[in-house]
Amino acid sequence: MFNQYLGISPKSDLLLLQMLGAKLNKRSFLHINSTRAGGGVAEILQRMLPILGELGIDARWEVIEGDSRFFDITKKIHNALQGHEEKIAKDMWQYHFNINRKNAEKINLDADAVLIHDPQPAPLIEFRKTGLWIWRCHIDASNPQKNVIDHLCQYCEKYDAAIFSVAKFTRAMAVDEFIIPPSIDPISEKNRALTDEEINKTLHKFQIATDRPIILQVSRFDRFKDPIGVIKAYRIVRKYNDCVLILAGSLATDDPEGEEVLNEVREYAANDPDVYILLLPPFSDKDINALQRTATVILQKSLKEGFGLTVSEGMWKGKPVIGGAVGGIPLQIVHGVTGFLVHSVEGAAFKIRQLLNNPEMAKRMGETGKEYVRKNFLITRQIRDYLSVWYSMENKGKSVLEL
Amino acid sequence: MGEIIESFEFRQCVSILKSTGERAKDLRELKDLIASVSDESIFHHTYQYFLKGHILEYTNDFAQWAGESLEERELSEHLSNIDPYDFKDISDLRNEILNVIHNHLERFPEPRKAIPGDEFYFNETVTFIFPVGIRARNLAEFLTAIRHVNTGPIYYHFYEARMRLGKGIDDFSRWIEDVFEKKDLAEKIRAIDPFMHTIEGIKEHIIEAVEEEVRKDMEVIDKCLTSI
Repeated sequence: MFNQYLGISPKSDLLLLQMLGAKLNKRSFLHINSTRAGGGVAEILQRMLPILGELGIDARWEVIEGDSRFFDITKKIHNALQGHEEKIAKDMWQYHFNINRKNAEKINLDADAVLIHDPQPAPLIEFRKTGLWIWRCHIDASNPQKNVIDHLCQYCEKYDAAIFSVAKFTRAMAVDEFIIPPSIDPISEKNRALTDEEINKTLHKFQIATDRPIILQVSRFDRFKDPIGVIKAYRIVRKYNDCVLILAGSLATDDPEGEEVLNEVREYAANDPDVYILLLPPFSDKDINALQRTATVILQKSLKEGFGLTVSEGMWKGKPVIGGAVGGIPLQIVHGVTGFLVHSVEGAAFKIRQLLNNPEMAKRMGETGKEYVRKNFLITRQIRDYLSVWYSMENKGKSVLEL
Repeated sequence: MGEIIESFEFRQCVSILKSTGERAKDLRELKDLIASVSDESIFHHTYQYFLKGHILEYTNDFAQWAGESLEERELSEHLSNIDPYDFKDISDLRNEILNVIHNHLERFPEPRKAIPGDEFYFNETVTFIFPVGIRARNLAEFLTAIRHVNTGPIYYHFYEARMRLGKGIDDFSRWIEDVFEKKDLAEKIRAIDPFMHTIEGIKEHIIEAVEEEVRKDMEVIDKCLTSI
């Protein structure tokens, strides 16, 4: 599998990966999150574990179990970290802790390095046995609700280190904080090249005609992705440019608000035949791939975003991407070069119109974007970074390490 | 018997980013934090600026933030003019940056704030240095290697070397001068302005200079004519 990245990933990443794999050979690396399906974290872990294994690292992935009350609480924590006001009472925090305690009784937490993803399993630190423990935050925590982040930090500061996706999500913590953006896997079903037959199969399944330009946003149905805003932008574009809009997404098992938002979006679209709202089952990677490859312009008009994997996905397919100037999106989109950053519905509409009316610019932008992703946002880089953090924590105090 | 020469072993560096947890929202806070952050953080925001695929308007992160986020264009020009390779150590560089900001604040004491989310985040790095696995024994091999390596080795041997070797000397020109005694070619490479090109641009300039030299070395026609 590792060899499949030759000719795709930068050579330096592959070389460093192999060297770090040799240094950490046969050591155990445990990842824990709260869902095996739906959302970017699960997607990355699915791809990362086999590669770690090939590098000689004993990698394992465990998923904590929780009931609907637990996931309601953790969704509120998630929203509060993203700056949305939520009331999280003492008994809710206690419930969060208790569910983690129950999971700690079932999961083998022994490993040389343990990476805990996001707030859901954060309290597991209280049941730590051995090894290096790192808390990995994928959320846009640039402007969190203070009492919520303070409470969460009571756990996070017991870790040996923390990882955030973007510098502005970090805060003054008493532990080492690393900045590692997430990534896409170029050879996965979501991102590999597709045949015309495969693409047409998807288009036929959803009855999508390609006689007009397609504007596409792929995301969970979540208010922070602003699907209503996307429809508003589309309606502005339609005044002068005939095109169709596709909003495609799945429901994540740890997101209880998804169905509510989906219904809001359907109502707002009001049965417009040129607005396709596609609820995809989990693991619809090939369909998403096909839709992205068919799109003329790809949107990720988020209001808050941890990273926005769909931005890199779209860029990898050579498409021009318009993204909300939030979270990790500006890391991927260099405005005017690898895509466009926008701050409003009107801004999104304007840039869509520019791209529809200038296919040469759109093509150049897509090509530049693809190369930018290749250098910076492939999974080999992210694994390289995780292993680098692990190795550097075992050589603490050194800012230069010669291999 | 063949002459043994020192071959050029390509190395590269890759850095992972670490947050210091400190952020500045205006010029006064920037100045206070520049005075107190670690040497590693000052190093990252100046010397390692070139690793990032930079906007060519600026030459360090402080200048870029002053220009883009605070719109203090005059200050960003002054800051961009600071050459980190002029300084023997980080504390001298730090003092120079502080001096420039201090002088600006004396003239314009009411600094504007950056918009929320656009603060200056002080980071540092952990850098890994490792071999590329490519070695050149002569200029032709060197040319082939330079064409094929990515930007990591170029950064390490052209930029990072200046701190290791001092006096604005990079690894490439030092090898060419010491091993092949090609002073002119070495001077051509040293004359490439490290601030005015992306790393890909630096690579292209080096290729151009070395290619011309290799071509000259291969030409025998002049020598044939003069010997008639």
